Amino acid sequence: MASQRHRDPTPAISRRQMLSRIGSGFGTLGLASVLTEGGILKPSSLHATDSLLGPSVGSPLAPKTPHFKPKAKHVIQLFMTGGPSQVDTFDHKPALKKHAGERPEGVNRKSLRQTTSGLLPSPFGFQRHGRCGQWVSDIFPHIGEVVDDLCFIHSMHTDIPEHAGAIMMMNVGHLQPTRPSMGSWLVYGLGTENRDLPGFVSMSPREQPRGKLANWGNAFLPGAYAGSYIKLAQMAPGAAIRHLQNRHLAALEQRQQADLLTRINKLLLERRERDRQLEAGIEAMELAFRMQFAVPDVFDTTGESKETLEMYGDGEFAKGCLLARRLVERGVRVVQLSMDNTNPSYGEIAWDSGHEDIADHAKLAKRCDQGIAALIKDLKRRGLLDETLVMWGGEFGRAPTSEGVKGRDHDHYGFTVWLAGGGVRGGFSYGATDEFGLSAVENRVHVHDLHATILHLMGLDHERLTYRYSGRDYRLTDVEGHVVQDILA
Amino acid sequence: MAYMQGVASSALTALWLSLSSAPGEQERVAFFERKVRPVLVERCYGCHSHEAKKVHGGLYLDSREALLKGGDSGAAVVPGKPAESLLLRAISYRDPDLRMPPDGKLPPQTIAAFTEWVKLGAAWPDENLPAQIDPEDSGYDWSRFRQEHWAFRPVKKPALPSVSDASWALQPVDRFVLAGLEARGMTPAPMADRRTLIRRVYFDLIGLPPTPADVEAFLLDDSEKALSRVVDRLLASPQHGERWGRHWLDVARYNHGFGNGYEGGKKLEAFHYRDWVVSAFNRDLPYDKFIEQQLAGDLLGEGIRGTGFLAVGPKYRSDGGDPQGIANATADTLEDRMDTTFRGLQALTLACARCHDHKFDPIPMQDYYSIAGVFNNTKLSELPLASEKTIKRYNDRQQAILEIERPIHKLRVDLIKHRVSQSKDPKKEVEEEIQAKEKKLAVLVEARDLLLESAPPKYPFVLTVADSGNADMHVALRGNLRKPGELAPRRFLKILSGDDRTHWTEGSGRLDLARAITRPDNPLTARVFVNRVWMHHFGHAIVRTPGNFGILGEKPTHPELLDWLASYLVENDWSIKKLHRLILLSASYQMNSAFHEEHFHRDGENRWLWRMSPRRLTVEELRDGLLAASGELDLRLGGEPTQELLQSQRRTVYTVISRTGDHFESDLFLRLFDFPDARFTSEKRPVSTAPQQFLFLLNSPFMVERARALAERLHTEAQETSERLKLAYLLLFSRLPTEEETNLGFDYLQREGKGLPRWQQYAQVLLGAQEFLFVQ
Repeated sequence: MASQRHRDPTPAISRRQMLSRIGSGFGTLGLASVLTEGGILKPSSLHATDSLLGPSVGSPLAPKTPHFKPKAKHVIQLFMTGGPSQVDTFDHKPALKKHAGERPEGVNRKSLRQTTSGLLPSPFGFQRHGRCGQWVSDIFPHIGEVVDDLCFIHSMHTDIPEHAGAIMMMNVGHLQPTRPSMGSWLVYGLGTENRDLPGFVSMSPREQPRGKLANWGNAFLPGAYAGSYIKLAQMAPGAAIRHLQNRHLAALEQRQQADLLTRINKLLLERRERDRQLEAGIEAMELAFRMQFAVPDVFDTTGESKETLEMYGDGEFAKGCLLARRLVERGVRVVQLSMDNTNPSYGEIAWDSGHEDIADHAKLAKRCDQGIAALIKDLKRRGLLDETLVMWGGEFGRAPTSEGVKGRDHDHYGFTVWLAGGGVRGGFSYGATDEFGLSAVENRVHVHDLHATILHLMGLDHERLTYRYSGRDYRLTDVEGHVVQDILA
Repeated sequence: MAYMQGVASSALTALWLSLSSAPGEQERVAFFERKVRPVLVERCYGCHSHEAKKVHGGLYLDSREALLKGGDSGAAVVPGKPAESLLLRAISYRDPDLRMPPDGKLPPQTIAAFTEWVKLGAAWPDENLPAQIDPEDSGYDWSRFRQEHWAFRPVKKPALPSVSDASWALQPVDRFVLAGLEARGMTPAPMADRRTLIRRVYFDLIGLPPTPADVEAFLLDDSEKALSRVVDRLLASPQHGERWGRHWLDVARYNHGFGNGYEGGKKLEAFHYRDWVVSAFNRDLPYDKFIEQQLAGDLLGEGIRGTGFLAVGPKYRSDGGDPQGIANATADTLEDRMDTTFRGLQALTLACARCHDHKFDPIPMQDYYSIAGVFNNTKLSELPLASEKTIKRYNDRQQAILEIERPIHKLRVDLIKHRVSQSKDPKKEVEEEIQAKEKKLAVLVEARDLLLESAPPKYPFVLTVADSGNADMHVALRGNLRKPGELAPRRFLKILSGDDRTHWTEGSGRLDLARAITRPDNPLTARVFVNRVWMHHFGHAIVRTPGNFGILGEKPTHPELLDWLASYLVENDWSIKKLHRLILLSASYQMNSAFHEEHFHRDGENRWLWRMSPRRLTVEELRDGLLAASGELDLRLGGEPTQELLQSQRRTVYTVISRTGDHFESDLFLRLFDFPDARFTSEKRPVSTAPQQFLFLLNSPFMVERARALAERLHTEAQETSERLKLAYLLLFSRLPTEEETNLGFDYLQREGKGLPRWQQYAQVLLGAQEFLFVQ
């Protein structure tokens, strides 16, 4: 496969195949099988390969062969909107205390605002954790327990210190919201393993991250690759997929209605002879029926053990972490879980409350720490961590100098993200910022490089995953990006 | 691809090989200017030039002498000897102690360009002489492009080709289609039956299904003019402009804003532009005027509402005022205007030349910034639709609010400063001052809020543009406006200008730009438009990349047909309605869509038009068609956008549309059925088939409502079950049910159910049937 060019999403299925597939109507195939099981199905029975109807070659979401053998099959992105400070979380800089209030030459870089204040030490303590001895801020006690599974990149950098553009850079690889999101690219390149569910799900507790839809949008890729957004505070199946439930008909009537529709469409298909669009339409309708039962099942967490629920803890973000596991467990390709802030001034740019007071980071950490650590542990004990790539990070970091009295301004010259699971080295740190933590100086990794690496771990060559649109081949990484080889397991 | 041999391999070889022989001094300098200098300026001069704050390593890279002399480590460049040049060693990143630039390795093609430059003697222009190189000459072989690429050659009206079965042709266009088929041993499909044909014509021209009476009348009219009469009637109906205006709005990335503040906020007033477009198609405004008014209606004094074409675009803003953020926002705003205008009207991907010379088409960066200069001297503006008194009342109040904001802002800044100083070094007198200022601030804020609350609402207005200046831009190195290069005088693209490259100095130059596009000898304008019209009637265009006629675009399947149509359009004073008549009355258009095993095997994509391609309804046709069938469609024209599309019964063209595609419930509905992304000009809509579409058709309140209305209509307008079934099939599919379909209906309606009334359930099945979703 030379490249993933824009291909006809509905290759011809023979008419005979198609008719035999839908031959007896939904009454005895798709719908009936679902209904007789009372609408509650085990996740394993929902995978396309197990479907009574067999995998469909016609769907744009059908699993595709990657460029090479992947290390991971799923991505969970824990997106820390607003930009958490590296020097108050995972990039420990004792020099800040020693030189508090000073303004050494190295920090005089052009930044968003002309901060003229001196260095501000972190208000939090740091401890070494795990066998690897990674320094972690005291605001992340639970994450401290799993550092041996994490791979820290301390030398991230991005293009500009502004939320709107930098958020887009992190999630769509471009400063403006005009390109497909990373999740859309992944589903376009790989399809998804369970076509009764969306291939890409994006969630946040209440507020959508700045840029909203663009963070999970398909832009110019076909609509099938768009992410589905769920607001966790109103978590309901209908919020994930619109018009999922039929509120007007009893199950029996619904089945009769579906059967009649199938009969009528089948008569048309007989008259029309080979008609790929028509065949694809009939198949999609059948999938629609199955989705009505598969989707509610994901959201029903009543079957989870008490121990599991307690491990994740309370709160919407924790619920999102648990859902993330349930989604990848059922074959969803990409899950994006974004942080928000209960302070409405920083709702969609959660960690930005650090402008006023960096100590606010403690509150934000408390909202997500336990759930994130539980997600890592839970994936691991279920054998899913090996095939799932977890990614934590914001769109940029925050400067070691102070803004106002106790706040920190944006810093795009250097920040930390961490990866875990599928194909990365656990308990490993890569790259470094300068002694005060402002700028990445060693083994610098641009966001494009991070994207190239994520695609690589998923079995895709970021230079070959292209889509022809308006006269040129687009890529997630544009014309940039190098795989960070040193962090691969 | 032969125009710039080896283009694909790298930009470097492209530049060299396009030159006829071994490069001379001028070419070597040109190479330096294009490939080396911009990198030096952008990546090295921060630390290695006379303008750097602090020079590192004693090394200057801003003159040839300085390079030869080198810095602390020795000569940076030894001309002709790449291996001895420290500069190349540093940028290669091979030496762990010498890696430049420190913030990241240069791309391999840049390193290759530097190596090549050193190998060929490290040419540098004599800085004391005026520029020796022609800044326009980017190494494109202009005359070959003009002669050999089909789209840049002049349009010439071809003679009609000879065909063996001339009697099949009803219109001149048929001769081209038939010649194409005969040359490949294929034959055209038989004529469509009349029911299929009238349904097709209705949807194509007005976007609505024919009523049972329309169908009946057409079946009974056995004169030769029957179709012609229907076409004329539909072209004259106001619904025609709504249907074809919407096709144009796809090109114009029409939207009502609502991207967040960084994209320019909401623009509900954009509807004036939509109404102008609809009316232009209804009035048959000649296509050349249609374009001129959209680009420069304000300057022409006619069609100022047309400038919404430019005004509905975003105005990007920086999120916080970082200088690079501001520069990016301006450049991105310009790119929107450039991309929409040039892909939309000229099918050229000009935007590719924002950061580098176009790699495939003859568009140097110079040309990009020549045109960008036009838009850079254009600002968003408003045409008020109110009395002067109303406007003055509004403006005065806004001014008053603004005046009170200034002291408020100053007080706030002072207070922050005081508090910071207090936190370090508390003083009593400062504390008192803080308290006094806080009191003052509270009074002013209260006054401002009162002014705001009682402010008169904004008067109605039309979104337009106006000239804002008259200055040429500089080429922005690597697309970065903070890195100006050579001057780019405002003028038209070199590839389309020939020798006439007038420098536009009148205002922004928009009127000159508009006229350069509508000049009858512009080889692209008419071709691009007739190609789009053909696409909407046949499902596929003659050039299947309607927004890209460049080297990477597709070639026309029927180049002579395309030129014949383009000539026809210009000869007929750019009348679009005449073009529609010509196409719709052709035999090619009237073919049926039946499957043909052998033809399908030979030409599965139907490039040679052996049949009419079946096509899925657009989201507008689907929703409007459902409302028409259920008897609920509201045909009022124009006006403010419908904010609750799924509760409304007005035509879909009147919906509100957000740039982000997620601001309204209706955005999600539209996108579900392949409505284009309103951030970009759309060349054609994809046709996707997704289960979510069927969840909508089966479960949504919108569909349940339509089914209820249709069931009621069937009961009011017909008396018995069999009559009702007939009426339903006529309303939805323009045909009568077969015996089997009738039996299925009877069978279903006789059964018992607990939910909705049985007839309503049945109606919803028919509304969601595949047959309704397609035009054959």
